[in-house]
Amino acid sequence: MSMEDYDYLFKIVLIGNAGVGKTCLVRRFTQGLFPPGQGATIGVDFMIKTVEINGEKVKLQIWDTAGQERFRSITQSYYRSANALILTYDITCEDSFRCLPEWLKEIEQYANNQVVTILVGNKIDLADKREVLRQRAEDFAQAQSMLYLETSAKESDNVEKLFLDLACELIREAKQNKLDNNDTAPMPGEGKTISYLNCCSLN
Amino acid sequence: MATEDLPSDFDIVILGTGLAESVVAAACSRVGQRVLHLDRRSYYAANWASFTFNGLLTWIQEQNEEPKPEEVRDWSGLTEEGEELIHLSQADSASITNLQVFSYASEEEEEEEAANTTEEEKAADEEVVKESSETESADSKEEEEEKEGAGEEEEQANQAEGEEPEADQPHPSSPGQSEPSREKISYAQLVKEGRRFNIDLVSKLMFSRGSLVDLLIKSNVSRYAEFKNVTRILTYRHGNIEQVPCSRADVFASRQLSVVEKRKLMRFLTSCVEETEEQTAYHGRPYLEFLRDQQLGDNLQHFLLHSIAMVAEDTPTEEGLASTRHFLRSLGRYGNTPFLFPVYGLGEIPQCFCRMSAVFGGIYCLRHSVHCLIVDRDANRCKAVIDSRGQRISCSHVVMETSYLDRSKVATPPRFLSRAVLITDSSVLPSESNQQISMVTVPPEGGSPAVKMVELSSSSMTCIPGTYLVHLTCRSVGSAHQDLSPLVTRMFRTTESQEEDRRPSVLWSLYFNMADGMASQVEGQPLPSNVHICHGPDSALGHEDAVQQAASIFQRILPEEEFCPPAPNPEDIVYDGDNSSTGEDRGDMGQDDGQNPEQNQNQENPDPEQNQNQENRNQNQENPDPEQNQNQENRNQNQENPDQEQNQNQGNPELQRVGPEESPSSS
Repeated sequence: MSMEDYDYLFKIVLIGNAGVGKTCLVRRFTQGLFPPGQGATIGVDFMIKTVEINGEKVKLQIWDTAGQERFRSITQSYYRSANALILTYDITCEDSFRCLPEWLKEIEQYANNQVVTILVGNKIDLADKREVLRQRAEDFAQAQSMLYLETSAKESDNVEKLFLDLACELIREAKQNKLDNNDTAPMPGEGKTISYLNCCSLN
Repeated sequence: MATEDLPSDFDIVILGTGLAESVVAAACSRVGQRVLHLDRRSYYAANWASFTFNGLLTWIQEQNEEPKPEEVRDWSGLTEEGEELIHLSQADSASITNLQVFSYASEEEEEEEAANTTEEEKAADEEVVKESSETESADSKEEEEEKEGAGEEEEQANQAEGEEPEADQPHPSSPGQSEPSREKISYAQLVKEGRRFNIDLVSKLMFSRGSLVDLLIKSNVSRYAEFKNVTRILTYRHGNIEQVPCSRADVFASRQLSVVEKRKLMRFLTSCVEETEEQTAYHGRPYLEFLRDQQLGDNLQHFLLHSIAMVAEDTPTEEGLASTRHFLRSLGRYGNTPFLFPVYGLGEIPQCFCRMSAVFGGIYCLRHSVHCLIVDRDANRCKAVIDSRGQRISCSHVVMETSYLDRSKVATPPRFLSRAVLITDSSVLPSESNQQISMVTVPPEGGSPAVKMVELSSSSMTCIPGTYLVHLTCRSVGSAHQDLSPLVTRMFRTTESQEEDRRPSVLWSLYFNMADGMASQVEGQPLPSNVHICHGPDSALGHEDAVQQAASIFQRILPEEEFCPPAPNPEDIVYDGDNSSTGEDRGDMGQDDGQNPEQNQNQENPDPEQNQNQENRNQNQENPDPEQNQNQENRNQNQENPDQEQNQNQGNPELQRVGPEESPSSS
């Protein structure tokens, strides 16, 4: 790892109801495009973008649900070892907001204790169809001690900010953890990963 | 949101999310098949699942519930001329039996130490009350089922009652104890921190060179999980736990072995890698006899037979040698023992394959079942299924776990596994590190079967710090409790005992029997040729059986296709319109997965910085998304691959995987 060209690597995981724009947020951020239509992202596990924050290279590995949220059947392993969660709902869809507590329950069950969670209200370009008032969402986020942001993947509003803010927060936490260094519980990623297996696969 | 209907046309419908089914799902989706993967349970991995402590309590409760009478609904309205229905079972009521729970953890809140005799009635919270009644019901159930051992039964019942906190309460921790930091963990704490447990229903390990590890690597499914080495192999002998030296380093460092023994062991281990004439001469004769004739001595014989080959005394030599070789081959690939264990438990593995399937378009729905298969009478093929909402879903193949078969068609599995799960407060062999993951072999003794025991520490993320999770497994002779509790009482403290007793205390334990998948046979009229059955977990330590099942089902469904080819590395996938795409062409790998001719394997590396690492990457990449590949052909024509070395190496992607990207700490 030492020779890899980044200072930090974070795993960010998106969750939220189907159709709220999770994939669009990722594609907007990583590729700068807004995919027309709902093309399912076949064969893509996660996307990568390396950003620079205060002179430090931060590699973000952004994971999407692979459609398993459609019938509420996300694998627990999806949440494991995530450094941050982006819980997304659609501001024009009350139902997607009402489902948030269910998602929080899943987070509590399966995600790491120290995971950073941010609530995102997407599709602010459709302001005239808004069903969830900003204040309501802010209150909810505050009550759950989450960060809150409203975005438009389509207009690229706040998308960059969303990921950069998260990256900043993650760096801050990482530095804090290093300082404290008192946590006896294994951190996510402490186990040997893929690369570990790969490395030894030369027979 | 779950009101959305499922699509009604698939290539393959898979019922049950156990390991074999999940591997089939991943393999089929990977090569472009449209897969619908359902499980009637609310969790993934069926009998391969891992549960949080609270999740496990719920599971126990579910197992003890009376199975609901199966509603028979008339689906004939959904069938057409020439079709008939095969009804499927709606609950798995046969695979788990003889469930018993014992709790020894203190019931009080953390603060008070004494006064437990007066407090206990108040302190016993609902949970426990419920639980003991469950235990009783399990007992009575067992009495019905078990004819023999009535006396012991009574004893169990007593013990079950003794579960009520006071009687079996393990000691207010005494100051004179060997481990002063040993804090008592209360039942309330287990519940409160319950989500940090991941308790496996099956207990297995992954051989470092076993078929599961190979498959994880080959398919890239390994990226979804993390693994830990099993750090030591122990054996229970003459009432003591001893470490088994198995790697070269262990052998030389061992204090139990004499110099002569060390030399003999090394010589034996080196010599048995290759088949010799001497070995052939022993074919058909017991491995033990072969070992004896090697004049290895008792110590080494024990290690080799029970801990390395892990076979019975009467196992034929060729089989014993094969097991020994399997062990040795896996040794040293990742660490000092031949085994890996997935962080967060074994239940992760089926889920990882499900994720891979979903990434390639597989549709997932838990809490959803199929009521019947629709069979074309003439062709004797299954054309469609009817799901629990009465929707007809057409498909060309059905893969399902045994428990979906109507019970009358499945012979009662003639064999069961006995399982015990213990939460303990210290390791069976304390060492400097409290983060060991240990495999413990217990040889058969006086009629009781050989027991495989795995002790997990909190580093495996399956239990909370300060506790250990101990899994015991053997082939059933009687009920799980009959088979395993004598060993548990020998190795662990289950009652208050003398201060100097240093055995680990059991805080909580669970016993149950699980059907041995290997032994279940389908009877009755043969199923349609395109319905494939996966049986549940087998008794072996490794995962070869499930992987083999999956591979052979895949082979039957798609004989022309490759089984789990590598999924592309997300870092190598290029999207059109990505304006940062300035990377060079990765070269034509020329091997298509056959599903989609437009899919082109040429990968581009969009990010110049990543080019440095190209050699590390698996070059046998495919870009599965046709839309992303529209322009690739043009690019191929216009670009040459400037990287000679890369071309030379293309033949063997695996060999590329050494380098800065990979963790250097591995071997």
